[in-house]
Amino acid sequence: MFAAARNAFSIASRTAVNHARVSPSTRSYNSGDIIWIPAASCVAAFQTAEKSTLVLVRHGESTWNLENKFTGWVDVPLSPKGEKEVVEAGQLIKESGIVPDVAFTSLQKRAIMTLNAVLAETDLMWIPVNKAWQLNERHYGGLQGLDKQETVDKYGKDQVLIWRRSYDIPPPVVDKSSPHHPSNDPRYAKFDFPEEWTESLKTTLERVTPYFNENIAPQLKEGKTVLIAAHGNSLRALVKHLDNIGEDVIAELNIPTGTPLVYELDDDLKPIPQEGALSPLTGRYLGDQDAIRARIEGVKNQTK
Amino acid sequence: MKTSAAILLASLASVSAFAPIVARTRQVAPSPTELDAHTLVLVRHGESTWNDLNIFTGWADADLNDKGKGEALAGGKLLKEGGYTFDVAYTSVLKRAIKTLWIILEEMDLMYIPIVNTWRLNERHYGGLQGLNKQETVDKHGKDQVLVWRRSYDIPPPECDESSEHYPGNDPRYANVDKADLPKTESLKLTEDRFMPVWENEIAPAIKSGKKVLIAAHGNTLRALVKHLDNISSETIAELNIPTGVPLVYELDDDLNVIPNENGIAPLRGAYLGDQEDIRARIGAVMAQTK
Repeated sequence: MFAAARNAFSIASRTAVNHARVSPSTRSYNSGDIIWIPAASCVAAFQTAEKSTLVLVRHGESTWNLENKFTGWVDVPLSPKGEKEVVEAGQLIKESGIVPDVAFTSLQKRAIMTLNAVLAETDLMWIPVNKAWQLNERHYGGLQGLDKQETVDKYGKDQVLIWRRSYDIPPPVVDKSSPHHPSNDPRYAKFDFPEEWTESLKTTLERVTPYFNENIAPQLKEGKTVLIAAHGNSLRALVKHLDNIGEDVIAELNIPTGTPLVYELDDDLKPIPQEGALSPLTGRYLGDQDAIRARIEGVKNQTK
Repeated sequence: MKTSAAILLASLASVSAFAPIVARTRQVAPSPTELDAHTLVLVRHGESTWNDLNIFTGWADADLNDKGKGEALAGGKLLKEGGYTFDVAYTSVLKRAIKTLWIILEEMDLMYIPIVNTWRLNERHYGGLQGLNKQETVDKHGKDQVLVWRRSYDIPPPECDESSEHYPGNDPRYANVDKADLPKTESLKLTEDRFMPVWENEIAPAIKSGKKVLIAAHGNTLRALVKHLDNISSETIAELNIPTGVPLVYELDDDLNVIPNENGIAPLRGAYLGDQEDIRARIGAVMAQTK
């Protein structure tokens, strides 16, 4: 009977903490955690904010990166090179002594596999993982599945550059007759996407930032170390938000794959500039700094 | 619902009548998409590095060995071929179960579903025996005593010490668990007692709400679950062997009562997927681990 009362107590406090973290508006199943938190510490969590650490990892090379195709929401796996990259990312995090408490990722396997590799390397396979479409790569509309060079040959370098690197001009839409429309993928079944769908970096940010504020920020304010394994554009959205980066600058910013990017945040979630940070970011990359600089230059060369 | 299930079974039977005589008996439970019932699939994790070494594992976080990874992959393939899909998965905080789940989800192309990790699905805690070699323990304490600790329903092994690495209070993954709930040893009964709250409060409601659930867990927590589902007695459950990596499929009605499957191997009313002869043989093999 005592055990039952204790269980009821724990359930009540756990439920309260979960409601604080996940907004109903995200309409996703609360996959988070079954953490039985005594009620006293639950109250404390609401009252005081703490400093925290946020680790961002862009997924490793995918099979379509290799094939130089516009990927977006297409669910391609990591390439063999990508699989190696993410093991190294995990090793770097382990060596750094950073220990994530909770992880977030997208609904796409290249990010999930990246996260799994990091969790395996750091021996943290048991931490709660939250998966959300809001952390997906930017949707590439009617360009998804097309070869990048062929698209340049067809539309011209300038037009493709606009679609790829403009802040707010999206590629052409897809409608519900296209296999690339999310209504045709069961993983998005419980969400309502408009008849026509495509995304720019701007609209990507408009779905990343609220998700961050509603689900990730509260965990950081509790002092948790958060790991996010995501994509080029969803991470651009995040760092733009964290570091207040301008629209024209963010569109050109390259975040190298499989390279952990570490932010230390104060209790207001303002980044504390890290030594060795590469402007305009205030976070620092883990690993060989020269090699990282070279790679940042390399991503620019994918369409000429 | 019954008629369509009967037609399906009859057509499966007629197909196998034309199969070559050399083929082994292979029956796969009917695809759940034809039935209105709630589907629940259980999978026991594959062989771990400590199974190989014949060490009492319990809450120690041994990894899958290559054979175990292969078993998980085979389980995933059976589920994929059977047309199964899931909305949510539950597993323990031990990597041999988590990895089993990851491999299955990858094979089924379902890596995007939410996963819930709970210590309440952990293997039974083996107390002071954790880390000890099974044969050495028999040599030391005698076959009968070890058999009692392994197969009794409610007699737990000796406790581990609070200073021991095996005491969960010394492991950060249990930092948020009430100290009073952390075991120093467990019997099957105690395992059942701490498992049932997550079944009642989390998993059963998820199933009732229409979610298709996959549970990747351990021998003793799955025993606790099937004991409850199939009303198995304490004496029988302690002897029941659930083969590793083989998906065990239950169909439940709206009240979560089991709809018995024709291919169920008593006392279970759920059915294993895969080669039925092979499975029966494997159920026998687990018993041979301590002589």
